[in-house]
Amino acid sequence: MAKVLEGPGMGLMKKWGIHVPNYAVVTSADELTKLGQANDWMKTSKLVAKAHEALGSRFKLGLVKVGLDLQGAIAATKEMIGRQVGSITVSQVIVSEMVPHKEEYYCAVKSTREGSEILVANCGGIEVESNWERVKRLCLDVGQQPTSDGLEKLAKEAGFTGALAKKMAEFAGKMFTCFDSEDAQYLEVNPVVTRESDGELVALDAVTLLDGDAKFRHPDWNFAFAAEFGRAYSKDEVEVMAVDSKIKGSVKFIEIPGGDTAMLPAGGGASVYYSDAVVARGGKLANYAEYSGDPPDWAVEVLTEKVCSLPGIKNIIVGGAIANFTDVKKTFGGIINGFRKAKADGKLKGVKIWVRRGGPREREGLDAMRALKEEGFDINVFDRNTPLTDIVDKALQAK
Amino acid sequence: MSILANKDTRVVIQGGQAGVNAARRMAEFCYLIKRPLNVEAFVYPPDAGKTNEIPYGSGLIAIPVYKSIAEATKHHPSINTSLVYIGADRAMKGGMEALDDSHIKVVSMITEGVPEKDAKLLGAHARKLGKVFNGPSSIGIISAGACRLGVIGGAFDNLVLSKLYREGSFGVITKSGGLSNEIIWICSQFADGITTAIGIGGDAYPGTDYVSYLEMFENDPQTKAVVIVGEMGGDLEERAAEWYGAKKRRIKLIGVVSGFCQESLPKGMKFGHAGAKEGMKGEGSARSKSDALKKSGAIVPPTFGALGPVIKETYEELLKSGQVKPVVEPATLPRLPKSIEEAMKADEVMVAPLIRTTISDDRGDEPCYDGYPASELINKGYEIPHVIGLLWDKRLISKQEAEIIKRIMMLSADHGPCVSGAYATILAACAGIGLSQAVAAGLIMIGPRFGGAVTDAGRFFKYAVDNKMAVDEFLAYMKKNHGPVPGIGHRVKSLRNPDKRVKELVGYVKSLNIKTPCLDFALEVEKVTAVKKDNLILNVDGTMAAVLVDIGFPVDSLNGFFILSRTIGLIGHWVDQKRQESRLIRLFDYLVNYAAPKRREVPPLK
Repeated sequence: MAKVLEGPGMGLMKKWGIHVPNYAVVTSADELTKLGQANDWMKTSKLVAKAHEALGSRFKLGLVKVGLDLQGAIAATKEMIGRQVGSITVSQVIVSEMVPHKEEYYCAVKSTREGSEILVANCGGIEVESNWERVKRLCLDVGQQPTSDGLEKLAKEAGFTGALAKKMAEFAGKMFTCFDSEDAQYLEVNPVVTRESDGELVALDAVTLLDGDAKFRHPDWNFAFAAEFGRAYSKDEVEVMAVDSKIKGSVKFIEIPGGDTAMLPAGGGASVYYSDAVVARGGKLANYAEYSGDPPDWAVEVLTEKVCSLPGIKNIIVGGAIANFTDVKKTFGGIINGFRKAKADGKLKGVKIWVRRGGPREREGLDAMRALKEEGFDINVFDRNTPLTDIVDKALQAK
Repeated sequence: MSILANKDTRVVIQGGQAGVNAARRMAEFCYLIKRPLNVEAFVYPPDAGKTNEIPYGSGLIAIPVYKSIAEATKHHPSINTSLVYIGADRAMKGGMEALDDSHIKVVSMITEGVPEKDAKLLGAHARKLGKVFNGPSSIGIISAGACRLGVIGGAFDNLVLSKLYREGSFGVITKSGGLSNEIIWICSQFADGITTAIGIGGDAYPGTDYVSYLEMFENDPQTKAVVIVGEMGGDLEERAAEWYGAKKRRIKLIGVVSGFCQESLPKGMKFGHAGAKEGMKGEGSARSKSDALKKSGAIVPPTFGALGPVIKETYEELLKSGQVKPVVEPATLPRLPKSIEEAMKADEVMVAPLIRTTISDDRGDEPCYDGYPASELINKGYEIPHVIGLLWDKRLISKQEAEIIKRIMMLSADHGPCVSGAYATILAACAGIGLSQAVAAGLIMIGPRFGGAVTDAGRFFKYAVDNKMAVDEFLAYMKKNHGPVPGIGHRVKSLRNPDKRVKELVGYVKSLNIKTPCLDFALEVEKVTAVKKDNLILNVDGTMAAVLVDIGFPVDSLNGFFILSRTIGLIGHWVDQKRQESRLIRLFDYLVNYAAPKRREVPPLK
């Protein structure tokens, strides 16, 4: 699942005929000044300026300013660009026209097991969240297109009447087309409003989640996906992602500041059980990591270096189930090289390493890990006969 | 019994190398359970018409590759299952092709990163046709003692350790591939092993979910309990719980769910498989799934680690109630033949080598010549003549000897376009022949009349010197036993028109103050022969030969010096012709003496 920022999200909606307010994404106040000279709407409308970053609670942070004239928007842009919020530096501001309106509505399309669901409500904004029962839905099987009758029925069920019901049905239809054509997993517009100037329904805000796996058939997705957890990716996370995109198999790495138990497990399934075990034992995770699908040893080595570089760690959990085809000796070779590099760089002082693994060439791999003891590593190695997450129990008891 | 994959399962694999690797693993399993290979065909258009060689025991089985599913099932009508190993961008098309074939009832997709919409379309299409679509991102399906689809089960040793050679009583359904193996292992250690284990894949919307498979297990009398390994995200575990709790079920259900760590992670942070995403208001969380399973009557151990004891307890109850009987393990099991490399490493086999070498070794990170690493030779100032010394005579020659060899090579590197070797190479180059063949054409000319007399000259001069022969005695011996003396005589050079190359080489060697018995003898021979006829001089072959014997090179290597040196010239001639884009040449008839009979009538055939 890949989150898309407002600007490109609105771009996709516009592509499929959904009315969106005029907007521009700028990287400096100067750029906005120049755009202001070329675009009438910037001079005649009230404007909103928002930091265009994957940040939560922007309003509270003062990164959303409303009711501005162009000069105000330029000033707001100047103020926002370069602001540091946690690990994120604001580098873009989206400036859009305010659309005067009275009523607010809600429309979304989401992926379901059978296909998708179109959601419509005749209230919007925060009102819809507290009145979720007013949201009406139309379920569609995969491959099925909504009929205009069906959409109109949905709008009427949601309480729209007359010409507005027809308009809302059309709006929902376009949302579905956008969702279906762009391999979206979630599209939400809250609020949808009636533009007073022409009576058209306009999408004021867009939440867009796309299926990153479908990127191969969307050459026009020229935007970067945003981190989904309210902060930008760190340098080490970005580096591991870059490795991941180049290799057969995969390596993954997410930092969790403040933890002391570092994770270096194999497999997308087992890695979560290891994390669960740490949390269940009262431990604090320093990261999430995973390598799977028999990745090359150098990729696992890069991942290992990043894990060893986490600050304040006391234990490293090199866990894993019994692999099907991941070569234990080879991937452990990468981990061992990473450990050696980290040690040479003065890291891993006082850090205990816990290993449990099975799979092709498990004996050779585990023997190589055991041999690290002689190089002065504090390492404990277990084979398939020790249950999966027991090393976590041992590690956290050892404290 | 088992579900989905059984003794009648016949497989087509769609895809290239990943599919071949899977077939190898499947063949290992077939070998373990003493059944023929269940893979009948591959579909991979780039290799259509070829075969993939799959090791089975100590032999190889050739499995044909077709360009389409239709072609594969036409030639192998018993095929009923397809495994899809095609890249994510083409996986849907491949999956649909398999589903649409009337022979195929089960399609399992291994491909990862398939767009969600494609996976849903495949699942919906399969349901419409009443077929099973498993995956995407599935590690495979394995029925103990009967059938393996994909790499599930891991390496051969693990198949044996996990007792997959015979049926147990536990069904397994997991999203994670690695954990499927873990659960199979646990079932074999804490209970009597598995009936069938299915990897449904970690995507958000697997083609077939827990409920469909639970239903199949419920209808399989051999399966007494089913272990499901769930993950946060989606509602598949809740649906499984709903199914289990809906009425009294024959099978026992044991379930664990991962993702409790989510509760103490920063908001919005998710990890694990693609499907591991929580819905709004806590639906799809590990806790809600776990609670739903418990409520339905399933056995839910508190942690993954507690699965083993819970499975053991369940197994003991089944034993006690007589629903399962204690297993008798087979006395012997087939052992996977080792490759020669593995067996040698384990000191289990001795191989008589096919060839023997005493000069070089390429097994390290760089070649060693007679034991010396090439880079070290370079860095310590050794040169090409030293490498020749090492590879031709297994010794490190002196600086002086190297200088002599260098001069010999420089003097004989080329002799113009007219000599046999260069002419042959040029002729070939003009006919458009490639470098190695054209140079070979030139090298073929080297023989008794052109450049190839070095070895023989060396041999006879050495014979004379070794036997302390006088010149007259030697000439008489040669005349009686061998004919003209090799190394003596030249087509155009003579006493009055001496060969500058000979003069140069002799002059240099004589200036070195070393012992040169062969050269001295050869020069004595020349004195006698040149008086008889003035072109019977010591030629360049003879001079080289005498000098090389004097510095200790073995007689059999001597022609090599000419071949090596002249190759430099031959390559030059070929490149020269190529650069000029020379056209095809042929002899003019005025250059031929047509001595054949005059034109005459052909007599009638008798």
